[in-house]
Amino acid sequence: MTVPPTTAPTEPTSAPGTTGRGSEQTMHVEDRPAVATPAAEKSIRVTVNGTVHERTVSVRRSLVEFLREDLGLTGTHVGCEHGVCGACTVLMDGEPIRACLMFAVQADGAEFTTVEGLAEGDRLHPIQQAFWDHHGLQCGFCTPGILLTTYDFLRDNRGADEAEIREAVSGNLCRCTGYQGIVRSVQAADETWER
Amino acid sequence: MGVQTIGANVKRLEDPRLLRGEAAYVDDIQVPGLRHMAVLRSPHAHARVLSVDVGAARALPGVDDAFSAADLGAQPPAIPALFAMDTFHPAPQYPLATDTVRFVGEPVAVVVAESRHVAEDALELIEVEYEPLEAVVDAYAAIQPGAPVLHANAPDNVAARQVYQTGDVDAAFAAADRVIRERLDMQRYTGIPMETRGVVASRDAVTGELTVWNSTQWPHTVRTILAGMLAMPARAIRVITPDIGGGFGVKADFNSEDFLVPFAAVRTGKPVKWIEDRNEHFLSIAHSREQIHEVEIALRDDGTILGLRARHITDCGAYQRPLGVINASLSATSLGGVYRVPNYRVEAVCASTNKAPASPYRGAGAPESTFARERLLDIVARELGIDRAELRRRNLLTPEELPFDTGLASAEAAVVLDSGDFPAGLDKALEMIDYAGFPARQRAARDEGRLVGLGICVYHQITGPGPFEGGSVRVDPTGEVTVVSGAAPMGQGTATMLAQIAADELQVPYDSIKLVFGDTGRLPFGMGTYASRNAVMAGTALVLAARKVRDKAEELAAHLLEADPADLVLEDGAFSVKGVPASSVSWAQVAAAASPGGSRPAGMEPDLESVQYFENLAAPYSYGIHIAEVEVDPHTGYTTVGRYVVVNDAGTIVNPRNAEGQIVGGVAQGLGGALMEELVYGEDGQPQSTSFMDYLIPGSLDVPDVEIGHLESKSPLNPLGVKGMGEGGAIGAHSAVANAVADAIEHLGVTVTRTPLKPAAVWQLLRSAGASA
Repeated sequence: MTVPPTTAPTEPTSAPGTTGRGSEQTMHVEDRPAVATPAAEKSIRVTVNGTVHERTVSVRRSLVEFLREDLGLTGTHVGCEHGVCGACTVLMDGEPIRACLMFAVQADGAEFTTVEGLAEGDRLHPIQQAFWDHHGLQCGFCTPGILLTTYDFLRDNRGADEAEIREAVSGNLCRCTGYQGIVRSVQAADETWER
Repeated sequence: MGVQTIGANVKRLEDPRLLRGEAAYVDDIQVPGLRHMAVLRSPHAHARVLSVDVGAARALPGVDDAFSAADLGAQPPAIPALFAMDTFHPAPQYPLATDTVRFVGEPVAVVVAESRHVAEDALELIEVEYEPLEAVVDAYAAIQPGAPVLHANAPDNVAARQVYQTGDVDAAFAAADRVIRERLDMQRYTGIPMETRGVVASRDAVTGELTVWNSTQWPHTVRTILAGMLAMPARAIRVITPDIGGGFGVKADFNSEDFLVPFAAVRTGKPVKWIEDRNEHFLSIAHSREQIHEVEIALRDDGTILGLRARHITDCGAYQRPLGVINASLSATSLGGVYRVPNYRVEAVCASTNKAPASPYRGAGAPESTFARERLLDIVARELGIDRAELRRRNLLTPEELPFDTGLASAEAAVVLDSGDFPAGLDKALEMIDYAGFPARQRAARDEGRLVGLGICVYHQITGPGPFEGGSVRVDPTGEVTVVSGAAPMGQGTATMLAQIAADELQVPYDSIKLVFGDTGRLPFGMGTYASRNAVMAGTALVLAARKVRDKAEELAAHLLEADPADLVLEDGAFSVKGVPASSVSWAQVAAAASPGGSRPAGMEPDLESVQYFENLAAPYSYGIHIAEVEVDPHTGYTTVGRYVVVNDAGTIVNPRNAEGQIVGGVAQGLGGALMEELVYGEDGQPQSTSFMDYLIPGSLDVPDVEIGHLESKSPLNPLGVKGMGEGGAIGAHSAVANAVADAIEHLGVTVTRTPLKPAAVWQLLRSAGASA
């Protein structure tokens, strides 16, 4: 999938013989460089949820595609592909990042935690448990990103008030809950997570 | 009666797998040999398509196929409209544009390739020759003489029109003490779920059966439409709705790709996947809400409403998809709200414009009409010098007047208000927000140079319309209960809600029940999840099926226990003889006896399963009162929502946390509509809000805590007494917030007549009043 433009679409040319997608600038075929074959590949080695993976990936494969399609970790979701919604948030070397905004090859040597790495066997992580107990999710699509954002926030903060929690999760969009259940869940996890 | 789970605030069955990242949304579906589709879309708002050449795309290595409308046959199948109006000029969309494109983003050609990357590479090689035409993007301008014409069968760009009326409205206006008119506009905005749309299709080479995974809210309808468009028997198509990442109504539609992916799978003989990217989503998901209301109200001096007369123009975009007229129809039949409006006339006009096709989004016409009415009532209150709460109270229908037949019928159902206590709801909400104390709060704030306002909205909504929903209940010989429902929920917690209902009927733990949704292969008929219908329709179908199963099980248990069925009680998952608890058989024992070869009374058919359909055309109406307090920054026009109160009446509440989650989530969306969300088009028809940077949805810092009070007026229309409630939050919040902003600034001499009230819009109003710093 391509990264969509983040600005208003450019007005199309009106000359006959042009082509283009809805919001991309059109151009004459002869002006365009030949389509690159996606041959360029590179080997990478990453650690995800404690497991080491060595793979050869196309250089244009995004990190989130790599996690989802090459490693089968489909708990990380793709919501916008332009770094705004936060659904693809994972921890890279302990810090939350947007997996849609970097290429897999840029992740060579890094260590990741995804939502699949939170629970210990049958036991949900205290953050997951709090979200279950306090109705912190509805459709669940944004949830993995919010759990990892919360993990990062609570790891470094204790006793945050509601305003601080709202600030902490403000980089993750949720269209279902209105955030009230998310805030309650983070508050609860702050108390139950022994860290 | 044993344990009752309905009404219990139990945790959701859905959550553990969602929290573990183990859900299966459509993009998580993998099929061996999967190919990927990408769509070439029109860059023009309006143009003739002179030629499409997919040859070079087909030749790119890794490409399986590329095709355009010419490859769909001499008479390509059109997406059908499912509802009409008195005057109706169908403007159907073809899956790929034939000779004309009419909105930016309209599919023109597709590529199927080994990966999405290669498919998008190949799109670049498709040659399309366009002859641009003049576009029209404003609905009012579109229906004026001389406007560019979208469809030859409607030279006035009126795709549909209907007048809805009761009483003698002209006489009421002639006899009125006061007549007040206003034009009130709602902007184009829509659901924008976090998960975009997506389709995967795979045809079994041996059986010929086509399996389609689609993030749709109505798989059975998709199957029916697909069968017609593909000219395949419905029995050869299985549509499955996997987990859905939010829908809000916009996934109860039928878009080009819903056809193109299955078509490509049949054409190539390979499984095909297409996942909408966010840019495509903004371009072509069902847009909604955009209406112009020209409304006038006839009153007595004491504020008694004598009549409403209105014309509203719904911007339907370029085509009429399945539900194209629903927003207009529901809006036209709900303008009166839960007030006593004896004389009523609304003319609904559906205008075609060179924008994405419109279809219902959470509320479906009710947010629009509610804004027109509730905004107008505040304007009336100001002009008549009557307190706005008192004006509403004087005109609200009382419980003694219910059920109240408005005499109107929308495309979906007759408008009969079945139950409720509207004045009590209003008073409860006023008390919760301390309405009596608000004038002092507002005065104190103004003394400090701050602009604060309070806004009231009384809304109602049609819920759970028919014609039917299906459900099955079966008990396996292991005693395990499986429920299959025609619903296709998208995050509401419906599995939990339905399990609670089944648990009470069968007296088994709710978390032991397995729920299956959204699979045409598991239930022959179903309608799906939209119009707040899960509790009402799917819930009742389940009650019917569970009672059939229980009755049969009871007869069988009596046979096994050699007792009279009348002497049995069902408790803790077992039938026992009253007063003889040792004489007992469990569900597992009964189900084992029911299985073929088991010990049954003579003549009793084997198995313990029932499939039932709840058929019902009478729809319950839920209602609520929203009150918002806001503060407007006089320097920037930025609005902050402070306290927010909701009183909601949806009859019996099956699961309070689900219900409150629906309310709060709906409030967030309505707030977004009032203050920030807008699908903007330039005059040339180019969309200008095609990313989350240009289209803002509320974040955690924008939505206040919502304080909720419940009333429970049970609906007489179903055995559970439930009414739907999924849409109400979005209906009430838009107008409560807009009215609150108006209350904060209208004393300066301005009138709020349109949304969204973005900072720039409010700042312009303040500036026009000479009040901005």
